[in-house]
Amino acid sequence: MKHRLTALAGAAALTVFAQAGTAAAQDCALNVGVVYPTSVDWGLPIAETALWVAGMINEAGGVDGCTVNPILRDDQNDARVGVDAARALVDLDRVQLLIGTVSSGVTIPILTSVTAPAGVMQMSCCSSSTRLTAIAASGESRGLWFRTFATSNVQAVVAAMAAREQGITRITILYKNDDWGQDIARLSAAAFEGLGITVAGQIAINDAQPSYRAEVTEALQTQPEAVYLALYPTEGTAVVREWIGLGGTTRMIGTNSLKSEDFRSAVGQQFLTDFTGIDTSAPRSDSATSFVEAFTAHFGRAPSGPGLPNSFDAAAIALLAYHAAGREATGAEIAAQVPRITDPAGEAIPATVEGFARAMEVLSAGGTVSYQGGTGAVSFDANGDVSAPAVTWNFGTDGTVTETRYVTLEEVAALMAEIGE
Amino acid sequence: MIGLISYLAFFATMAGILAIAVLGLNLQWGYTGLFNGGVVAFFGAGAYGTMILGARPDPMLLGGFDLPWIVAFAGGILLAGLVAWVVGALTLRLRHDYLAIATFGVAVALESVVRNAQWLTGGARGMRGFPRPFEAAVGDTFLYGLVFLALVMFVLALVYVGLQRLVSAPYGRLLRAIREDEEAARSLGKNPARLRLQAFVIGSMIMGASGGLYVSYTAFISPQDMAPILTFQIWAMLIVGGAGNNRGALLGAFLIWAVWTASGFALARLAPTDWQLYSGSIQYILIGAVIVAMLLWRPQGLLPERLSIRHTETAASARTTSKGVT
Amino acid sequence: MIQALLDGILTGAIISLGAIGLTMVMHILRFANFAYAETLAIGAYVALVADRLFSALVPVFDAALAPLTLSVSLLLALVVAMAVAGASAVVIDRLIFARIRARADALSMVFASFGVALILRNVISLIFGHHPQLYSQDIAMARVLSLDPLILIKPDQVFVLMAALVLMAAFHLVLTRTTFGYALRAVAENPALAQVSGVNLKRMIVAVWLIGGGLSAAAGVFYTLTNQLTPMLGHTFLLPVFAATIVGGIGSVYGAVLGGFIVGIASGLSLMVLPSGYTPAMPFLLILAVLLIRPQGLFGEDVR
Repeated sequence: MKHRLTALAGAAALTVFAQAGTAAAQDCALNVGVVYPTSVDWGLPIAETALWVAGMINEAGGVDGCTVNPILRDDQNDARVGVDAARALVDLDRVQLLIGTVSSGVTIPILTSVTAPAGVMQMSCCSSSTRLTAIAASGESRGLWFRTFATSNVQAVVAAMAAREQGITRITILYKNDDWGQDIARLSAAAFEGLGITVAGQIAINDAQPSYRAEVTEALQTQPEAVYLALYPTEGTAVVREWIGLGGTTRMIGTNSLKSEDFRSAVGQQFLTDFTGIDTSAPRSDSATSFVEAFTAHFGRAPSGPGLPNSFDAAAIALLAYHAAGREATGAEIAAQVPRITDPAGEAIPATVEGFARAMEVLSAGGTVSYQGGTGAVSFDANGDVSAPAVTWNFGTDGTVTETRYVTLEEVAALMAEIGE
Repeated sequence: MIGLISYLAFFATMAGILAIAVLGLNLQWGYTGLFNGGVVAFFGAGAYGTMILGARPDPMLLGGFDLPWIVAFAGGILLAGLVAWVVGALTLRLRHDYLAIATFGVAVALESVVRNAQWLTGGARGMRGFPRPFEAAVGDTFLYGLVFLALVMFVLALVYVGLQRLVSAPYGRLLRAIREDEEAARSLGKNPARLRLQAFVIGSMIMGASGGLYVSYTAFISPQDMAPILTFQIWAMLIVGGAGNNRGALLGAFLIWAVWTASGFALARLAPTDWQLYSGSIQYILIGAVIVAMLLWRPQGLLPERLSIRHTETAASARTTSKGVT
Repeated sequence: MIQALLDGILTGAIISLGAIGLTMVMHILRFANFAYAETLAIGAYVALVADRLFSALVPVFDAALAPLTLSVSLLLALVVAMAVAGASAVVIDRLIFARIRARADALSMVFASFGVALILRNVISLIFGHHPQLYSQDIAMARVLSLDPLILIKPDQVFVLMAALVLMAAFHLVLTRTTFGYALRAVAENPALAQVSGVNLKRMIVAVWLIGGGLSAAAGVFYTLTNQLTPMLGHTFLLPVFAATIVGGIGSVYGAVLGGFIVGIASGLSLMVLPSGYTPAMPFLLILAVLLIRPQGLFGEDVR
């Protein structure tokens, strides 16, 4: 309930930001489509983050001097509704940029039936399906597709590496039974086996089940030395609490989706001392916690749930690219500007209002920037996928997420070769 | 202008696809009095069937048999019919509640199957790689949207005319007779169980056709498309439009889909920013309230069922419907 | 195997509590109420609010009654939740179902219940948010009953089972020892004849909603005690509770109780039979099996 009030307050502040932005910008507005599952618990904060970024951009002067008008549509995690929303945004609101969405089952239909055919750039924060790489590689997305979410392969491989380093020889995988989870389960099982670690069990965790006791009991019976958790905070909390309550080992390796305050506080810091998290992120010029601090300062609560830093970066990069392309730009033109935002040789830009304003200056003058965001210094490959090193993290001694070690792309490639992918 | 036409064409395509499913439900519920609580199961069976048969081969899956579109489409319809036949044979002779619960359970079970049988359905990743009908011939996206709309309208018209014929034929009266008074029908030598099963299967096959067309448009299917919300939407369309009336079914389909999309559109435009974040919940409450209000105020729907007045002058003079005085 | 059996019995107790009310409603009012399972959610959320309230008013109540995670304030909250959920069930019937009963046929009520379920679930999410809630942050540690075979049990689970049995026993006593109970059974047996004998049908229906709603609320609270609470609680219990009523036979309270335990045990054992992803489908398989073998369920009579 506290969240409700602070969310309302935050949103009210947002509208004020947006108004303030118009003072700095001229009297023009650019429609930008934002499609996210706002009616799902973890979808709401992702959408809020994107709107927050739009407010910051406006405050920094807007896109090419015009106010960004983000039009938020709920896709209800339903392909029909999502495609309809995207269609309306493209046909009726004439957006050239669409930010969205989360579930690959909705992102793919939107990309293939709406945005790509219409020449609209699409940037997703959180869709993980490997199908999207295939779509980009085949040319079907016409270079219009980007996502600030690394494919699961890197996380799976690094998890295996972490397990090996900790001397684990026997592990059980508990995975969320959706496309993301099934992918990670498959990839991580192959990775573990490839590095000589026995996978004692792979157990699917369905959404919103009354009790996970049966699944957890089965996991216990496989007698693993550690568990690998590919879960979102909701079922992750339920499963881990059950696991610990039944005497399961506290040695856990988890995916980036568990980087959540809800998860940490519900499970309890005392049980998370042997928890190793994996994520994809590059070393950055500012601290790893700056996103958390900025988020907490703006919304009055810590970021919790999957995809928030990714959502931040997706919106920021897309809007900066829009600025670089100019207010009259088409989707393809905006897409062509993305490399100028993520140039490793460019000026390093922090993800603050001042940073955005500086970036806009540099871009308008013809230079390039290296955007340092919630997921570090982002760069995309030819298929719109992020190529970023991996990082291991834990909950620290006091509950602050601490990044412990970066794993470079070369190391990841070497691991993959070893696993025999 | 083109943007508006493009959107309206898409809107009509979606509404048309859903309308076909509503017509199928009308046959089951409106004419035969069968409560199908798992519409999405038959829609999904048609969709997955069409996809598995018609998609390009995929090394990770059994399916993708790359059959011609019309064959894949027919296959999906037959699969839906098969599922309906099995479910119907088991449950139709029981009380209506049992059918409602059993069909609801079928939908849950089928969603579970497509989510987990990764070797067949791609699991939660879904399936894609489906060559759309006529897409190769028509290059332009905008034009293709219109072509597909024409295809959907064609199938819709076919189903509508077919059902109208059925309804005015003796078969239709037979179904209604079974719905109203089974004993009397049986006394006249009719086999109610068999007829009910027939109606259930045919209605489900129509729903399968709707699913097949849906997958032909999006060229992608995943377990999310089998969420129970579709059952609710189709039912809402029938209730609001008027059960037992095919025109009502069409009206309901277009109306409810319009309400569903317009409310999202309106909330995005008119509601203050903080409301937008809760638009999903608000939308569901709105739709739920519309349905309940409809059932309270006008349960027979906007276009109620009308008995064929040609043959029953008494009905015309008494101005009654099977549900009471109009 | 024994562990799965034990866990199944515990989940089963919760399902049984939910099924008692549903079977009565389905039998007397003759409609499958898809909104019924939402009373579990209503009960659980009301208890959440009441628990916080009582803890704030009388801080000493907040202390857990070791070895349970249950506190006195939660116990009081339980009572409040039962009352509120029962009352809300009556109100919903009065406002919506009774009116539709008068104007349209039974199946419209089924559909209306779909709509009511949607409304209730989303109103709850609007008020409380989608994220999971807990009654108590503490993780309850299981006690080891035996090491080989590994059998673990949490004190909370034992409490839930005891409490559920107590409630069911109390209801049984009401049904067999009080005039009110006789009247209820008479109405279940033959509403017309019961009315002729002087039983007030309207009042009995209100009683059915009250009792059913109250028991479901208890089920919701007991479930949340050992798990976590989200607005989807009602939805996840829908199919298991329906399965319990069908297995037990619609109209039979004892059938509902037995059915609940059967569904719970089957779900607990399902992992031995099905791969882990398929567990939501287990209640449906039970329904199918019952319909194939004995459609009227264990104790039910009407099938048509």
